[in-house]
Amino acid sequence: MNIHTYEKVWLIAALVLIVGFIATITYGSVALGITMVGDQEETIEPSELNDDERFGEPRVEQVGENEYEAYVIAQTFTFYPDPIEVPADSEVTFYVTSRDVIHSFSVAGTNINTMVIPGEVSKMTVEFDEPDEYGVVCNEYCGDFHHTMEGLLHVVPEDEFDMTELSVEADDEIELGDEATFDVAVENAALDDLETTVTLEIGNETFEETITVAGGETHETTFEVDSSELGEGDHDWTVTVDDYEESGTLTVVEDLEDEDETDDGDDEDGDDDSDGDTDGGEDDE
Amino acid sequence: MRISKAGLLIVLALLAPLLVELRTVLSWINVELGVLETAVIGALIVGVILVWAFLPENGDDESSETDVSKSGP
Amino acid sequence: MSEARDAYIDNFPAEAKVVRAAFYSSFFALALGGVFGIIQTLHRTDFYRFIDPADYYTVLTAHGVFLVISFTIFFLVGIFTWAITTSLDREVEDIRFTWAWYLLMAVGITLSGIAILAGFIDSIDMSASVLFTFYAPLQAHPLFYIGLVLFVVGTWLAGLDWFRSWWAWKAENPDERIPLPTFMVLTTTLMWYLATLGVAVAILFFLLPWSLGLIETVNPLLTRTLFWFFGHPVVYFWLMPAYMMWYIMLPKVSGGKLFSDPLARVVFVLFLILSVPTGIHHQYLDPGIAEGFKFIAMTNTMFLLLPSLLTAFTVVASMEHGARQRGGTGYVGWLKALPWRDPVFAGMALAGLMFAAAGFSGMINAGMNINYLVHNTFWVVGHFHLTVGTAVALTFMAVTYWFLPQVTGKALWSRSVALGQVVLWFVGMTFMSNAMHRGGLLGIPRRTAEPQYDGFEFEAAVGSVGELDAQVALGGVLLTLSLVLFFANVIGTALNGRSDALPANEYAETLSGPEDAPLVLDNLKLWTAIAVVLVIFAYTFPLLSIIDRGGLLGPDVNPFPVSLESVAFLTFAVEHLGTAALESAGNAVQTVVPGVIR
Repeated sequence: MNIHTYEKVWLIAALVLIVGFIATITYGSVALGITMVGDQEETIEPSELNDDERFGEPRVEQVGENEYEAYVIAQTFTFYPDPIEVPADSEVTFYVTSRDVIHSFSVAGTNINTMVIPGEVSKMTVEFDEPDEYGVVCNEYCGDFHHTMEGLLHVVPEDEFDMTELSVEADDEIELGDEATFDVAVENAALDDLETTVTLEIGNETFEETITVAGGETHETTFEVDSSELGEGDHDWTVTVDDYEESGTLTVVEDLEDEDETDDGDDEDGDDDSDGDTDGGEDDE
Repeated sequence: MRISKAGLLIVLALLAPLLVELRTVLSWINVELGVLETAVIGALIVGVILVWAFLPENGDDESSETDVSKSGP
Repeated sequence: MSEARDAYIDNFPAEAKVVRAAFYSSFFALALGGVFGIIQTLHRTDFYRFIDPADYYTVLTAHGVFLVISFTIFFLVGIFTWAITTSLDREVEDIRFTWAWYLLMAVGITLSGIAILAGFIDSIDMSASVLFTFYAPLQAHPLFYIGLVLFVVGTWLAGLDWFRSWWAWKAENPDERIPLPTFMVLTTTLMWYLATLGVAVAILFFLLPWSLGLIETVNPLLTRTLFWFFGHPVVYFWLMPAYMMWYIMLPKVSGGKLFSDPLARVVFVLFLILSVPTGIHHQYLDPGIAEGFKFIAMTNTMFLLLPSLLTAFTVVASMEHGARQRGGTGYVGWLKALPWRDPVFAGMALAGLMFAAAGFSGMINAGMNINYLVHNTFWVVGHFHLTVGTAVALTFMAVTYWFLPQVTGKALWSRSVALGQVVLWFVGMTFMSNAMHRGGLLGIPRRTAEPQYDGFEFEAAVGSVGELDAQVALGGVLLTLSLVLFFANVIGTALNGRSDALPANEYAETLSGPEDAPLVLDNLKLWTAIAVVLVIFAYTFPLLSIIDRGGLLGPDVNPFPVSLESVAFLTFAVEHLGTAALESAGNAVQTVVPGVIR
């Protein structure tokens, strides 16, 4: 074959360029440890995520001194949890899966970017050095409201980061003379024990209890308040643990029974009950 | 004219990517240009090219050729 | 008919009609795609929003499908038919067959188009807003998939038509080399046959039965992988006709000859064998595919740079040769001697220049790990608006100014408007694709109606996101104007009277001809076999592993949007028709068989 000298030079230069590209990419993967999303994770049934150990409750979990794992669900058209909070100077492994169609989990302006495919779990390990706030977008079309699918990733300073979660279950309405109960659950998702004080303020009264929550555990405590001390009427209450706060209103009435019997009141009552059981972390927003 | 009308059109078209990327390139050496400033610079360069193109061809051919190549691809 | 004229329409009047029909279909798709393009551009950048954001995705599907399926492929079948007939100097074997595949393609794309456009009309219970990639569990109306199947089958028959011409020619000229344009058509067609296997399996075995309700679920990763099995080589199916034009038309309009016929053959052979085993590079970010498979796709992709780099050399060398024939001198001074006044030349040269830029962003995309920064961002959109949106589209528009007179027998309406049009496209695309690339680096996603978020803002390193948006919108407006000029010229030419002064139907000669090319290059069976082996290497294990992990039909996921009522009806109709057909066939057999036996 008759190849012009210049063309030969060009051909060789092109091959050198190509081999050079492959070499740099290989260097990046092998020496710098830039790993790819791969097939390390087992498949998962998208319809059974609620019962899954990891994805039943999407969350950030501490697994080592500066090591965390984040379990994230992408679904039309939100990410759970949102926001995702991790401390600075940490190594976070993200596990992301989808409940319905193909999404992506893409942290804007970074190379934290993966497709999220139903049935598969994407795994990425990321190092966060500095506190920052990032937007999370879904960059794969997932339906009519795809453009509204967004989340936040907060990398908070280490000393401001904790993994405490507060939830309170309380009566809405009681009869004068009965005891009002406040079931307080404090979850500590960190590895180390948490020593803290739970405070309940209602009316003019304050109750306090010092608790120790073991790492990865939830501590439950119950306050009982005598309604006759409070008297008839509405009473605002607040439960506080560290920076978390949960509040509501307790109504003390003279006679409950009539209202309970009526059908009309039932639905509303049901709603009110579930309102009382809100999540401290969410309320903080 | 020193260059054909079509040639002039092409030269001006090739100016577009250069101007658009000029800001990015200058920002590497910490020169931040706004949109207006870029537009003014662009207009100036276009003006210079137009003046050069429409000047009567009295200089030596050699220089005009080098000029084309500079603004060319 | 005047004696002097030797245009395509004079030599091949029947074929010229088919080519013309294919061109007009292609331009119609281009017009639709262009309208949807400007609507999207203005909506996305928030300059002018008059559609519901949900309809944006219908607009986007229509923009994608009409431009990269109908516009490109109709144009391709037009010039491939031209190339076969011209370079073999023989009519098609059976013009009815040629019309049949053209009509099949037209019917197919019309059905898909109806399914897509019905998405705008709420009262019609039909939609296909699944974008060009139709990733399951997003589900389109069955009509969309059926239309695509018919269209692709039409292209298969077109390929068969070209092969038939070649076989017949070979029987009459057993010792001759395959003419270069025919060689390019045949290699590209073989690549297409191989590539479309993926999408055919995805649609026929999974997506279509699923959309008809015959199967409950599909494996999203499997259908997605099968899509990209086709989805990457399809870009070469768009690009190969443009390459063909750069090899056989550009040297001629530059005033010279093609630098090297053998290397042109090498380039097309490389595309045949390397185009398909690279599709997984679109799935660098997919969970469920091992890193090793991604690495193999990456190396194949990088080697695919080789034919493009070789093309860059040949094209520039041929242009230089032409310029020097025209009296150009100096190291770079020869550029001045090129026929910039000719829109066919200027358009192709500018398209080639932009393709070089696209090559650079493509190298970033191909880089397995750096791809994580840009995957599915606006950067990718910038990249393919340079490749298919300029290298291909602008080349097609430029050569239209040569082909249209050839197939209509009428003079081009205006050369000056044509030149303005190609230059305007270049400038418009410069603004638009530059801003898209830069936006992608900030993390702005692609395929998103309103990429303005409540909780955060994208931070621009230089300038601002607002400026980038303005740049995209400005580019979009210029591109739309360019399209208006293009259509003015097409319509003006169609309305022109017959011209007696058309150039002859010729393509470029070569400096180094086929006699320099080793015979093995023309051994299409060998190259096809190698291509098949490479595909088996690259795809067997990933596909097996995906099926092993997720199952053939995947996990339990609902189609989205959930099945429509009309689907149930269609399923019923199909089954009913099928039964009826079987019954009548049975009856026919019953009546015929005894007759035969007797």
